[in-house]
Amino acid sequence: MPYVHPEYLVETEWVAAHLSDPNIRIIESDEDPLLYPIGHIPGAAQVDWFTTLQHPLRRDFLTKEQFEEVASNLGITNDTTVVFYGDKSNWFACYALWLFQYYGHKNVRIMNGGRAKWEKESRPLVKDVPSYKKTTYRAKEADRSIRAFRDEVLKQSKSRKPLVDVRSPKEYSGELISMPNYPQEGATRGGHIPGAVSIPWAQAVNEADSTFKTSDELRALYEGKGIKPDEEVIAYCRIGERSSLTWFVLKYLLGYPEVKNYDGSWTEWGNLVDAPIEK
Amino acid sequence: MPLPPKLQEIVDDFASMAREEKIETLIAYAESLPPLPARLKEERARMQPVPECMTPVFLYGEKQPDGGIMFYFDIPPESPTVRGLASILASGLNGSKPEEVLSVPPDFFMPMNLQEAISQQRINGFIGVLAHMKQAAVKLLDGSL
Repeated sequence: MPYVHPEYLVETEWVAAHLSDPNIRIIESDEDPLLYPIGHIPGAAQVDWFTTLQHPLRRDFLTKEQFEEVASNLGITNDTTVVFYGDKSNWFACYALWLFQYYGHKNVRIMNGGRAKWEKESRPLVKDVPSYKKTTYRAKEADRSIRAFRDEVLKQSKSRKPLVDVRSPKEYSGELISMPNYPQEGATRGGHIPGAVSIPWAQAVNEADSTFKTSDELRALYEGKGIKPDEEVIAYCRIGERSSLTWFVLKYLLGYPEVKNYDGSWTEWGNLVDAPIEK
Repeated sequence: MPLPPKLQEIVDDFASMAREEKIETLIAYAESLPPLPARLKEERARMQPVPECMTPVFLYGEKQPDGGIMFYFDIPPESPTVRGLASILASGLNGSKPEEVLSVPPDFFMPMNLQEAISQQRINGFIGVLAHMKQAAVKLLDGSL
């Protein structure tokens, strides 16, 4: 069976053939922000999940007006097709795509396999940073149907509706709270949200080339753990980046009608006074 | 206790750089991190696999005849930021006495103002790498290295 919305995914060959298409903007979004200056797909721009996309003061994304400014500077119009790719099997590419969707940008794609596959195929990488003519971009009001906040998550947990914890098994069990290299992203308590099932994000991608698994494999994976399309699903991880990938898989590759990403994730829940936790 | 002079020099250099220069210099550090010597490959193979989501950092501290410590790293090229941070620490601390390594405050990098080049979350990689180096220094002091 094919993916339900295959139009949200493009292959590396397709990107290579559309490098100079003026209706397409290619954007690199990485965990490691130095990868882009070392070498990127010709013509690609960079967004950083933190310095570009987060609000400078609050723990939140850019406001609608700030997002419009970012999109304008990237030379994107409301009709531009934006193709995201990145490191770590496209975690932060999916995160950026999710945020573009949040502000109503319709034409978005993920490059299957991300940066690793492009490099493995020895496709060109350049250091030149392109500049694009500034546009006038108009964002839509934030689409709350794809973003979950803590109160909704609590309701979802209490009513035992589908919650997917996509962190590694040791984070789910509470053995690990924060990663040794990421002390600022820690939480004071370990464990998981009551009722959440553990489906680590990595099970959705092929280890060999970072591409997504087939529709049949993905369906078996999520439905096998009771995550079905008939109910609203909320996915979370530690800061919302790995769960953006799971959100993309459920929403577009499997076509689940109602999927939300809880970007507060464990760094909010594990610090939240009075929040129920299971181990 | 002041920072070891070489590390202090690197901190001062970064403090005076503009954003673009910081990025270029960090990349240069990442690219100049020497490969792991072949004699340490066996140690490397014994390293516990690290759970997903963080960069696997292999570090080996070696005692020198003069009592100083040399650090060797193996960090994958797809993680240039962590490579760059480790390379700065190796350049600044190689040859230092274990006591000097232990005296480096965990926030020594603040004056470098790296957050204008890479996000705070990534800079915190310094804390992790420095903590690893301090563990090696402690082992050297208590004689288990």
